[in-house]
Amino acid sequence: MLAELGFIATFLAFLAALYAAGMAFYGVRRRDDRLLLSARNAALATFPLMSVSLGALLIALVTQQYQIAYVWNVTDPNTPTFFRITALWGAQAGSLLFWSGIMSAFAFGTIALNWHGQRRLMPYVITYIMLTLAFFLGLSLFLENPFERYWIMPDNSVVKSVFALSGAVPPAAARLAETSHGLNPLLRHFGMIVHPPLLYMGFVGFIIPFAFAMAALASGDLSTGWIKATRRWTLLAWVSLSLGLVLGGRWAYDVLGWGGWWGWDPVENAAFLPWLLGTAFLHSVMIQEKRGMLKVWNMFLMLGTFSAVIFGTFATRSGLVDSVHSFARSGIGFPLFFFWFSVTAVSVGMLLWRWRRGELRDDRRFNGLLSRESLFVLNNIVFVMLFIAIFWGSFGAPIVSELFLGTNITLGKDYFLQVTPPLFLALFILMGVAPLSAWGVTSLLRLGKALIVPALLAAAMVALLALMQPAEPLVLLIYGVIALSGTVALWETYRGAAARHKTLGENWATAVTALVARNRRRYGGYLIHLSIAIVGIGALGSELYQQETQRTLAVGQSLALGGYTMRYDGFLGGQIADDGRVMDIAQVTVIRDGREIAHLRPRRDFYPNAEGMNTMTIPAAHSTAENDFYVLLVDWEAISASSATFKVFINPLINLIWWGSLLLVFGTLVGMYPDEKHALATAVAAQPSRLAGVKA
Amino acid sequence: MTQVAWEKPESAPEEAARSGVQWKYLVGFVALFVGIGYLILQGTISGARYFITIDELLAGDYVGQTVRISGAVIGDTIQYDPQNLIIDFTIANIPNETKDLARTLYEAAHDPNAAKLAIHIRDQVKPDLLQNEAQAILTGKLGTDGIFYATEVLLKCPSRYEEAAPNQAIADPLAGK
Repeated sequence: MLAELGFIATFLAFLAALYAAGMAFYGVRRRDDRLLLSARNAALATFPLMSVSLGALLIALVTQQYQIAYVWNVTDPNTPTFFRITALWGAQAGSLLFWSGIMSAFAFGTIALNWHGQRRLMPYVITYIMLTLAFFLGLSLFLENPFERYWIMPDNSVVKSVFALSGAVPPAAARLAETSHGLNPLLRHFGMIVHPPLLYMGFVGFIIPFAFAMAALASGDLSTGWIKATRRWTLLAWVSLSLGLVLGGRWAYDVLGWGGWWGWDPVENAAFLPWLLGTAFLHSVMIQEKRGMLKVWNMFLMLGTFSAVIFGTFATRSGLVDSVHSFARSGIGFPLFFFWFSVTAVSVGMLLWRWRRGELRDDRRFNGLLSRESLFVLNNIVFVMLFIAIFWGSFGAPIVSELFLGTNITLGKDYFLQVTPPLFLALFILMGVAPLSAWGVTSLLRLGKALIVPALLAAAMVALLALMQPAEPLVLLIYGVIALSGTVALWETYRGAAARHKTLGENWATAVTALVARNRRRYGGYLIHLSIAIVGIGALGSELYQQETQRTLAVGQSLALGGYTMRYDGFLGGQIADDGRVMDIAQVTVIRDGREIAHLRPRRDFYPNAEGMNTMTIPAAHSTAENDFYVLLVDWEAISASSATFKVFINPLINLIWWGSLLLVFGTLVGMYPDEKHALATAVAAQPSRLAGVKA
Repeated sequence: MTQVAWEKPESAPEEAARSGVQWKYLVGFVALFVGIGYLILQGTISGARYFITIDELLAGDYVGQTVRISGAVIGDTIQYDPQNLIIDFTIANIPNETKDLARTLYEAAHDPNAAKLAIHIRDQVKPDLLQNEAQAILTGKLGTDGIFYATEVLLKCPSRYEEAAPNQAIADPLAGK
């Protein structure tokens, strides 16, 4: 019943998406309002249909319908309810359906909010989003169907089918429950609960600005309307992707047990690539809005971002690359590649077409190397260079060597550690300088003066960092550059608030709130800059000054590392958790300056029912602003556990990464918060073009 | 403020469109591209690792050169010294990767004629995934003693996120899991 319901709802959503795409396009060509309304309603209907479809799968997971192969694969009777819910995106078929569900939600939101304000663009927006949705739903229906059930045929063979087959009987319920798999132990972690949905929201969310960009190209309405209509959608996608990336790192740090959080793995990079182009886009659109420049470039960045999203999806889900994060090799690789190629080719073609017709000319030219627009362009170039460098290292070199050299060359972590740091540093320098330069022309002297106080503040922060963690002069200089990008943001905010405090007599709290409220985009942006500076310092410190050691300790013995002492107190073997896993727990005490500061319990979990990998080493950590004291239980003496072996890491400043990312969310929310005058969509054009006047 | 004087009304974009090449930007960008291109080239040269099979490793002249190899882990050979964090095991050549990775690995690990390679890893905690019939992707150097000294290990278990074929055990109450 649930399988049929879910499948039929998905199929109807697929039909509705195809209908909406076709009818929106036909309707706008015919300039027929009724057809467009019909297309709109069909597009809106995909969301409730997908809710039914996902709801059916969710209920099947929670109520243990093991006849459904997906449920059988990712849960077992011991799985706690919580992980039954997250199992919705625990494997390929479910996560694809979930992906489509998010896309239909975004489509619903954008149609509901922007239909009236962007009448000229919306038909094309619907066409592009619905074609993409139909493609992904097609994958779910025809290649990765999460609703297939197991059936036993008369000849006793087992087949998978959604609907009952003639002569087939369902397998015995008890037998199904007994043989079911259970969620992969790696996925039973908080980070895995929120990381995939956020990453998907980030990936899928870029469909909205992409569809608007394509709609602008298709309709010929090449004003900044598409940018204004999608600014918040872009920010929502961007912040989700940012958080998704950070939480993925947090998951790796907590679960994979190698003491790090970013490994330059191709799949991690695949998710980072759209972030780079998306971030470049968020900056360069400001130039188009303020100065009417970079029109082609902004289009290019948005098309590139979405192309990178589809490429990343293809790379992760096709089994193209060997990675700890990837899904198993699967049949959806070719269709995804084909889709990526078509999307990219069509969008580039459309862009070139409008460009050659001279419809994307800039209103102004560049003037002055230090002007804000020039610095923004430089920032964009660095982002794109990072994109190229990381793409080349992750995918370019392996693919080119395979195709043209007959060998397979991969680039390891060394490559990324050599190529990316200068580019990141350049970005931080620009983050520090660009906000101080003016539109049009800025003199070096003016810029230098504006930098004095932030530079002093940055120097003070570097001195603080040097006290916490002695470092080489070059590293201190780099810390200083990163810190500067944050102190500029702080100082500019302070100056604005001080002016209000002085001239209007407002108290400081009011002055700051009023200042931010008057220009949320700018001050939200400054908060994001500050957060990126904090994350940057954390990333640099934890990468450069990680300390590690390993020792076997008898009960009562201690080891020392970086000012900490760790004592092995005892062992709790064979603890059985609610979900059936067996935990072997070491108890250790962390001591600093003679004081016991923490009791930690690094452990190893054993999952008796899991197929394949069935043990997980779970680290324990004591976290402070200064560092993490991070302990892995490596081994212990059987039975008595009178001695145990530990690997211990000290990760300096690593918590700045997690805290900084919280600030990033806050900053983005400030930047996204609608002005009182406007609704969430903000995109109500001054004069909404009437549909009758739509130009094809 | 020069800015004010310089600004043109929105209605006169033609002027901008006719502007010629802005040389100082062009020179700057070319310099930037060349610099970054050089960085990428250097990184590629020093970071490149040939990804080869065990057969190719043993047939070619790769001693002392950093390469990446892939093989099927033979479970019985795994030896782990947790005191000193030394891992030793043997992997078997994977002839042709098929769509069914679990089957490929099973066949490779049980093929008596498959080329084998002893692996030695220092200073690493034994990964949870290091088990029989896992696919090991290793970066390191082949020593003159015929042992592969790996510095990076990536392991994949076929049942990692997805299991393979529908389980016949569902139908047969007597069959083991």
